[in-house]
Amino acid sequence: MAQETLLLLKNMRTPGYTGDLSAYQKAGGSKAWEKVLGGMKPAQVIEAVKASALRGRGGAGFPCGMKWSFMPPLGAKPHYLVCNADESEPGTFKDHLLMLADPHQFLEGMMIGCFSMHSHHGYIYIRGESQHAIRRVQGAIDELYKAKLLGRNIRGSGFDLDLTVHPGAGAYICGEETAMLDSLEGKRGQPRSKPPFPAQSGFNACPTTVNNVETLANVPFILTQGPEAFAKLGRPNNTGTQCISISGHVAKPGVYEVEMGHNLKSLIYEYAGGIRGGKKLKAVIPGGASAGILRADEVDLPYDFDSLAKAGTMRGSGAIMVFDEDTDVVRLAERTIRFFNHESCGQCTPCREGTFWVKNMIRQFMDDAGDGVLAERIHRAAGQMIGTTICAFGDAVGGPMQAFVRKFPEEFAKHYAS
Amino acid sequence: MPTFYLNDQPVEFQPGETILKAGLRAGTEIPHYCYHPGLAITAQCRQCLVEVTDMGNGRGMPKLQTSCSTPAADKMKVSSVSEKAHWGQALVNEFLLVNHPLDCPICDQAGECDLQNYAFRYGSGHSEMEYEKRTYGWRNVGSFIMLERNRCVQCSRCERFSRDIVGTHDFGAFLRSHELTFDTWEDSEMTHKFQGNLADLCPVGAITSRDWRFKKRAWKLHKTPTVCTACSTGCNINLEHHENRVYRIKPRVNAEVNRWWMCDEGRLSYPVLNNRRERLLEPQARVKGELQAASWDAIYPALAQRLKQIGASGAQVLGLVDTHATNEELYLFKQLLADGFGSDPVYFPHRPGTQQEHPPRYLTEPFIYTLITTDKSPNTAGALKAGLAGDPDDKRLKAALRAGPKVVLILGTPFANDMAVREAVSRADLIVSIATHQGGWAELADVVLPAHTVAERAGTVLNKDERLQRIAPALEAPEGTRPQVRILAELAQALGKGRPYADAPAVFDAMGQQDGPFKGLRWEAIGPLGLPLGAAKAAKASA
Repeated sequence: MAQETLLLLKNMRTPGYTGDLSAYQKAGGSKAWEKVLGGMKPAQVIEAVKASALRGRGGAGFPCGMKWSFMPPLGAKPHYLVCNADESEPGTFKDHLLMLADPHQFLEGMMIGCFSMHSHHGYIYIRGESQHAIRRVQGAIDELYKAKLLGRNIRGSGFDLDLTVHPGAGAYICGEETAMLDSLEGKRGQPRSKPPFPAQSGFNACPTTVNNVETLANVPFILTQGPEAFAKLGRPNNTGTQCISISGHVAKPGVYEVEMGHNLKSLIYEYAGGIRGGKKLKAVIPGGASAGILRADEVDLPYDFDSLAKAGTMRGSGAIMVFDEDTDVVRLAERTIRFFNHESCGQCTPCREGTFWVKNMIRQFMDDAGDGVLAERIHRAAGQMIGTTICAFGDAVGGPMQAFVRKFPEEFAKHYAS
Repeated sequence: MPTFYLNDQPVEFQPGETILKAGLRAGTEIPHYCYHPGLAITAQCRQCLVEVTDMGNGRGMPKLQTSCSTPAADKMKVSSVSEKAHWGQALVNEFLLVNHPLDCPICDQAGECDLQNYAFRYGSGHSEMEYEKRTYGWRNVGSFIMLERNRCVQCSRCERFSRDIVGTHDFGAFLRSHELTFDTWEDSEMTHKFQGNLADLCPVGAITSRDWRFKKRAWKLHKTPTVCTACSTGCNINLEHHENRVYRIKPRVNAEVNRWWMCDEGRLSYPVLNNRRERLLEPQARVKGELQAASWDAIYPALAQRLKQIGASGAQVLGLVDTHATNEELYLFKQLLADGFGSDPVYFPHRPGTQQEHPPRYLTEPFIYTLITTDKSPNTAGALKAGLAGDPDDKRLKAALRAGPKVVLILGTPFANDMAVREAVSRADLIVSIATHQGGWAELADVVLPAHTVAERAGTVLNKDERLQRIAPALEAPEGTRPQVRILAELAQALGKGRPYADAPAVFDAMGQQDGPFKGLRWEAIGPLGLPLGAAKAAKASA
């Protein structure tokens, strides 16, 4: 098997590692947090993260240091850091692993983030279905309080910090940061119209930053090993390692950590063991259900934000779904649109009605009653959702639906009315 | 003032103002559903998409922007009519029709429906949606309104109104995706008195008035801008009528009085205006104990002769008036009593108004609750300004009644249900009633002069905040009735006093030339939105 570049998964790949605070500290953890408390200035922390060129691992790939620097100077309102642990993008399960197997790593990153943004209260928003992750993270936080790494005047630094785990009620849209903030406030989770951005008016209308679990998990490494060590990994503007969730028709599905820009084909064949049963590859969805599908002949490319964007799809949350030659792409499209139709919050017209209509059109293909006009209509209706809604959900449905129709016309033709 | 360009036309705007708000003010129509000037902005219907070709810095925005939520910027260039903008507006329209029942022929909103209008403008005329639509049943959700959720465009105006304006949280969002529906909580029916505003706010036929249901197509109605007289607030309204019948009352925007709102009591105050069955249709005089029809030409000389016969004057003549009378009528009535009989003052029932409805404690801006007062008449402030005698406990009137008046002149139905007053008045030698309907004083009177309702005559009233507002005639009065100002002027002339007036504006202009509350004012200067009396005076003083 090909060698992983272990940075985030290093501890948990060590046999016998329990993920408890003592194990984490024995493996070199908590050093970054102590270093920060030992006299670093918040601005220095942000500079280090900026220098690392770390990009958000949640899906959009926004530079983390820049996001942190958007927070205004501390005013009358409290600042918040919210960790997005909703991880609801279909095909994604790497945050889950990070929370279960090594919770202290991302919590340390989160604590450092709170410090750098003058936040004295952080929230970890975990989807409600993940009871085990909620219990695990809560247990880790309890350990931190006990070890006086959280609470009042931590290690005599004068810095106070509390962390709270908040279980969501199970909605895909609550992975969208502003919908998550609404949900966190106890409201119906619906994305907010931006501006104002969360950095100006987020949780309870206070300055707020939202970061993904994996993004935060990178922060301790950046502070202990230096941003240069991090930036050396990967490719320019796509630095560091990435935790890839590979699922579907592969021999060894799972989470693999590789450098940014690692070849996608190699990920499938060398890490995930190739297509199960020795079958041929038909298609790959490279970045969660929101990413446009790739044909088998398109997968030989570097797996990072910029390369996949150039290929007309996206890296998203790093979830690769692999489909073998027996897959019916129309059925796959139907399953995908069914999910999006079910999960649309419904506030914007294009997404609310568009997902319903497109679902019905694809179902007509499932009934072997399609035709070329209908396929074009799917493409048109999907296009009408792109860029016309409050949040990126519209793009996340429209793009993949258009890709299904354009990349696999022969699959749709199999379902034409005879 | 900073300026941006909307469809190449310069539009001035206040800093912070959105493209839509400034554009609408400048008279450019940009389609929208969820935006309402009185509600929080959500930008969720997406109907108001426009193309920003230049943000004011030479760079355009790649995506279409919702004009309701995008602030205008100096030198910004925006198009609501470009090909791309039209694409956006048309696609929203197409999507909205995906699950819309298209039941315009049986929908009360037809003719004043935004969805219908935009579908005519942007729609292709045929549907490519060939599948079963999601459906819900309809039901009454309040004493005033019904909910037909199939027609809903999910603009959430109802939710925001319930949350931010009345604070009752009646409406909420349920389910999601295409099943998203705005509904009231299970087993609850709204009882607050501002439900009609929900029907106004709803841009389609999802929330409609139960009272108006199936009564009239909207496009048949004529709208007469006037003022609600159901309480002393004087909300600005449109009286909507067809073939001389009022069908409904809708609020007219006045930022100084009622903003966009009005109460359901006001909305339901119109049936009396349509009451022709109990209407007084001709002058009547009591002959041998029976009221008998008389002509206008005959009744004035006869009345003058009878008054001369009785020869009452001063305190022997009592004038009673209610506060539904306009300022002009109060003025003429007071003059008639003073010049004709040397009788002063005129008495009116003074029932000081207080706020009737009380807001939930957590509502931050309870403005709407100030709209209903307990004073169910429009012109108490006018009566006080005119110097009429009104004690909340009617002390002065009781004293006047104890003196035993011989002649009582009554305008409207003041004290009509006060048995003590009725008993004292009934002992008078002559009772003259100027009224619109049977009942009240008409049955007790010796002379009945049929007059016009508030929907048939012009005049001014002074609301609780001393804002002078005009009421306007919407309906044609029945033949045989005359406006109050004319009756009062003719009565004075029959007594050899006063002068003729063409109409209420002439009376008001005459008042403006004399000392009094309206000195220096002219009818024309009042305008459709009224005039605060204090401000009018101050402006006059500074000029």
